[in-house]
Amino acid sequence: MSADRENHDMTQTDIALLLADAADEVEIGIAPVQAVMRAGRRRRARRWAVAAATAVVLAGSTGATLAVTGLPGGGRHDKGATVATQGRHADRPHLTEVARGTDHGTGWRVEISVWDPPRDKAEADRQLEAMRRYGIDARVLPERSHLVGMTSHYASLYYGDEPLRPIMFDTGERRDYVAGSAAVIPLAGKNVDGALRLVVGTVDKTARQVRLTWKNGDSTVVLPHAAAGSPADYFVGVAPAGTSYLTSKVIM
Amino acid sequence: MGERKQARNEEFQSFMTGRWPRLMRTAYLLTGEQHAAEDLVQSTLERAFVAWRRVGAADDPEAYVRRVMMNLHARRHRRSLKEFLAPRDDSGLVREVADTGDRIAQADDRSALLTALAALPTRQREAVVLRYWEDLTETQVAEAMGCSVGTVKSNAAKGIAKLRAIPGLADMVTHGGRK
Repeated sequence: MSADRENHDMTQTDIALLLADAADEVEIGIAPVQAVMRAGRRRRARRWAVAAATAVVLAGSTGATLAVTGLPGGGRHDKGATVATQGRHADRPHLTEVARGTDHGTGWRVEISVWDPPRDKAEADRQLEAMRRYGIDARVLPERSHLVGMTSHYASLYYGDEPLRPIMFDTGERRDYVAGSAAVIPLAGKNVDGALRLVVGTVDKTARQVRLTWKNGDSTVVLPHAAAGSPADYFVGVAPAGTSYLTSKVIM
Repeated sequence: MGERKQARNEEFQSFMTGRWPRLMRTAYLLTGEQHAAEDLVQSTLERAFVAWRRVGAADDPEAYVRRVMMNLHARRHRRSLKEFLAPRDDSGLVREVADTGDRIAQADDRSALLTALAALPTRQREAVVLRYWEDLTETQVAEAMGCSVGTVKSNAAKGIAKLRAIPGLADMVTHGGRK
């Protein structure tokens, strides 16, 4: 072994020792098992909520229909600006239409509903009833016991005359809200399987664009739009007929 | 609660209790900060718990957990970098910063290694920590980082080279490590 190699190995060994020494500086504490399991159960409940759709990784993802077309003026945040947030009201959602279009002669639109946090169980009950009236399926309603103090966000598809179809949702404390979720579903009626063409997701308000790539190799850039009452912006994209979603990437 | 579910929960509790110290140390080296390390480990284990039915039955649950932790760490680093670069007043959000030679040259105190680690680009830091602290093989590191073995070799070599170039660190190595 050459002297250089010996020195090289020695240095790496020493760095390993230094790393171990540095790692010992951290205070280990007691593993917060119960807190982690509780948080995991909440996360599991949220994941189940997008079960009607397919959760997708929003990191990076093609001829393409630009779906964010329902907004007047075409500029970002236009729609959000026109939908006033009229104070706190647990039993009336803040509603924002973030996209609309026509598919094979059938009109569709994506609507965001944001529900203010109920202050007590009575308000939680009224909110759950209002959610049912709004059209949210009982299977994706938040748990009553976890509703007080929590803000709920629903992104839903209206396709033709069919009832509202939740695509993705989140219920949690507003301060914990993290943008960066996305889901993809067939752009079709409730009981119709098909290519995963409709992509809906949330991004941080600093995001400028989202590039959606389709399985035929094409891609589309869509603009995020504000939704009343939501700390995140929403984007919507539709794959052209005959292809489906592949990947997505946020452009900051 | 079903017996099977109960058994899975107990299995997870045992896994988490046993791995917590090591995960905390790894996260500390990755983040350089106590609370960030706790946050990273908790978020990682939350995801492991959600997928525990599958993860616990896998041959190597630790490999899954390492992969999740690296993904989360990389994601948070990207976010903080964007926040750092964005023209906003969110100062203080970024502890992990891109490579800056001056900072490395100034690393000469007891926390020289952590300072130097924090100054490494994320992927180099991850490769160094997994390879030389976790003592994983290059293949295991590649699995955890979701990249090729060649990328691991390259990142680890660059990271080590930068650490070796730090005067304060070189002194510690010369004198047999930190006292």
